[in-house]
Amino acid sequence: MSDPVSLTRTPPTGPASARLRKRARAAVARSLAGDRWRAVLLGLLLLAGGVLVALLSYHVFGAARAGRPLLDPMIVDLLRAEPVAFRLAAIGGGLLLVLIGLTWAARSVRPERRPDVVVDGGRPETRIVVNAVAVAEAVAAQAGGLPGVHRARARLVGSESAPALRLTLWLTEDADVRALLDRIDDTLLASARESLDLAVLPVAVRLELDAPNTPPRVR
Amino acid sequence: MRLLLRLLAPLLGLALAAAGVLLVIEVVAAWVRPATGSGLLVPWPEWRGTLGNLSWDEYPVPAIAVAVAVVGLLLLLIGLLARRSDVVLAAPAEEMTVTTSPRVLARLVGRRVRAGEDAASAAVTASRRRVAVTAQGWADPDPQLRESIAAGVEELLDELPLQQRPRVTVRVVERRYP
Repeated sequence: MSDPVSLTRTPPTGPASARLRKRARAAVARSLAGDRWRAVLLGLLLLAGGVLVALLSYHVFGAARAGRPLLDPMIVDLLRAEPVAFRLAAIGGGLLLVLIGLTWAARSVRPERRPDVVVDGGRPETRIVVNAVAVAEAVAAQAGGLPGVHRARARLVGSESAPALRLTLWLTEDADVRALLDRIDDTLLASARESLDLAVLPVAVRLELDAPNTPPRVR
Repeated sequence: MRLLLRLLAPLLGLALAAAGVLLVIEVVAAWVRPATGSGLLVPWPEWRGTLGNLSWDEYPVPAIAVAVAVVGLLLLLIGLLARRSDVVLAAPAEEMTVTTSPRVLARLVGRRVRAGEDAASAAVTASRRRVAVTAQGWADPDPQLRESIAAGVEELLDELPLQQRPRVTVRVVERRYP
């Protein structure tokens, strides 16, 4: 793994490795995909509605249509003809809005999961659960001792059936990134996988720099 | 943009839910006690009078429509621009992804350029695809300054296992004395 060829090797194909890569990518940061598409959808609805009403107001669809009242008597008559159906439709629409709104709010404020890892104890009556925070602290402590790493933070993300590791490393000035990554892969992750009894542990490494500590330029 | 979306998302969700709750309450209230003729929380009979007298081309309607369209456009842009701007590095294993922020790349480049001591000062902006260095030379600038800075940056990029090599542009400007 530490040979330089491994950096440039062709990406492995097959559904299993694609899934692994996807899990590692998903561990990079909390996903905002849901929030993003909801915001885009709501934005599009508001934009389309606003533009259509503005066009109507500026007589693009004809002066006669623009001169009608906002609460058109034609529509009021239609509503009065079928009151029960429209009331039920309004209540249904309102409930749908409540459901969508509450789900959105709950999903966006819910903290990210820290899955515990279940280790097979070898005997059927024992079930060993390794606490997510304990795993993260152990990995972070080990990573903090690697050459070129000033400080490290780790946490488990994902689900209990598919945990992944997010590792944030603050590098020192003289860090050799390539060597460090190789080192993480063959020592740190190998021991984490072994101790957690996991076949694979996707990991997302985030590299940061320490606060600027540049020597004075005037000597 | 991502932070803004993180802040806005729960508020938008709660606003939608509140609108839904008001709608349901008012419709049910109007249904079970039609005699009172007034809204429970929202004065909708008054609104009905106003809306019945207002036509589509009268004063506040176009302004409100344009405002709603602008809000929609902003929301659309926030949603589209809230993507990650990570700089991706080549990982030694398939179950590993390595990323860093453009800011970190810019700081690495800036440190390399300033360590050279050929430039009096340097400002760096970086993204996944581009690294731009604006350097100020000393009073009698070395004519090779641009090339030497670019070579230093390229050397740094050789050391970093970046997945996509950014294009380097170096601009040397005259030193501005305060």
